Amino acid sequence: MTDPSAPMIELEGVGFAYEDAERFTLANLDLRIDAGTVTGIVGASGAGKTTLAKTIAGFIPLNEGGTYRGTARVAGRVLAEGTLSEAAAAVGLVTQNPFNQISGARFTVREELAFGLENRSVPRDEMERRVAEVAARLRLEPLLDRSPYALSGGQMQLVAIASMVVMAPPVLVMDEPTSQLDPAGTRLVYDVLSTLSDGGTTVVIIEHKTELLHEHCDSIAVLAGGLIVQHGAPGAVLADDRLTTWGVGETRVTTAARLARERGLLPVERALPIGVDDAVDAFSALKGAAS
Amino acid sequence: MTTTTLYLERTSALHRLNPVTKLVALLSIILAVFAVPHWWIPIGIVVVVIVPAAVLGRVGGRLLRLFLILLLPLLVVLFIIQGLFYPDGSTVLWEWGLAQLTTEGLLFALTIGSRLTALVLGSLVFVLTTDPARLMSALTQVGMSPKIAYVISASLQIIPAFQARAQSILLAQQARGLAIVGSPLKRARALLPLLGPLILGMITDVDERSTAMEARAFGATPKPTSLIVVPDPLGERIARWVLFLSAIAVVVLVVVGVIA
Repeated sequence: MTDPSAPMIELEGVGFAYEDAERFTLANLDLRIDAGTVTGIVGASGAGKTTLAKTIAGFIPLNEGGTYRGTARVAGRVLAEGTLSEAAAAVGLVTQNPFNQISGARFTVREELAFGLENRSVPRDEMERRVAEVAARLRLEPLLDRSPYALSGGQMQLVAIASMVVMAPPVLVMDEPTSQLDPAGTRLVYDVLSTLSDGGTTVVIIEHKTELLHEHCDSIAVLAGGLIVQHGAPGAVLADDRLTTWGVGETRVTTAARLARERGLLPVERALPIGVDDAVDAFSALKGAAS
Repeated sequence: MTTTTLYLERTSALHRLNPVTKLVALLSIILAVFAVPHWWIPIGIVVVVIVPAAVLGRVGGRLLRLFLILLLPLLVVLFIIQGLFYPDGSTVLWEWGLAQLTTEGLLFALTIGSRLTALVLGSLVFVLTTDPARLMSALTQVGMSPKIAYVISASLQIIPAFQARAQSILLAQQARGLAIVGSPLKRARALLPLLGPLILGMITDVDERSTAMEARAFGATPKPTSLIVVPDPLGERIARWVLFLSAIAVVVLVVVGVIA
């Protein structure tokens, strides 16, 4: 029986080197993620974030050649010991390139959204209901009768996300899901992720936009040198002085506040704000001190 | 709906037919016209079945245009070559140097041409009136493997996939100074650098596409459900068997020599 206090995702000493690679992309990595939380993964380009996403989803080692070690569990199950189909049922993976997430075998967005549900033998009535619900949430209704290949990059990315959200996996791993989206589309996606998380879905999101992670995540993990070098509350992680040395960009609010401090507009002893709310607090405190 | 096929969305009885029924009818016609060695059978089928079907399906105009563009030039070439240079021709109607217009050559061209016309026009009416998504669902409903259905659908979709990728590569190369102007030859030569990244890109995508398909449970069950359910009334099922058995009967009659 699964221990209810156990984390939903647990990686212990996980290492992975791709075939013919000179070094391990992931090296003895440990990571624990609780059920029903939203966790952001950040790191420099080439840090191994996509490899980590595939490992959490079980595609490494089940579908990828290379050297694998350690144990990755999802809901207490070691995915590597099962089949790829079982892993896919436990963890939904949205890959980086929406073009390749599209099945390539469906003629309309509506059919595309239903593709995964058909493969899971979901009854037609339920399938129609779930497709309509997800399309409404991500505002895809005007696109439902269009060809998936007639969409813009952003629209295609929304369809790729919707095609996985509609399958309602208990764990959802998304690899840079908003890279091609405009601010409104990005907001929509994060709203949907928040709703899913409230409903008990565990969400892991690889993202470069640290402002978004600060606003929406319960925790952030930093990947550098194949290891999780920092994992904790967004405020604490994004305030870490070593952030830029790990190749992670600070938020624009922090950058603006740092420049303001260099020009003497903010006291040195005050911690730099990270999000917009922190910045408002900082300005309020300054105004209070001035009056 | 944007598709790669020639399908025309219309409201007609032909469009409403189960695609499998139309497919069986098409295959029966092809079997019959190729089995019977008389040119008037294919012509009769074109006049009595295919053209009325196109009118009923409200695709007559498009069929005519496709006939003029695709088939007519081919038929003209066929009649010129076979009519003038048929090797076994003995009844000479007209001659000029090596070219001899013979009755046998014309008859041969007529036989081949009429079969070709029935085959192409019949297939075009099928494609023009059949939604590919409904076709795939209907085929899966009658027992075709979902994996084979995927391969067929993916093949039909490969053209827009290619176009989408080619467009982005072309834009990237034009942004870096590739000029696609001048004579057709110059333009064709300028497009050569497109081929490498296009083909290699499609090949490297296969891995990620296969990961995405696994993530979407492709192949997880041998009996997936379908969003599109195509009605298959008893009348159509009977009609399919009648068509199929009729076509077989024609072939048998030809083989045993009743139809000569």
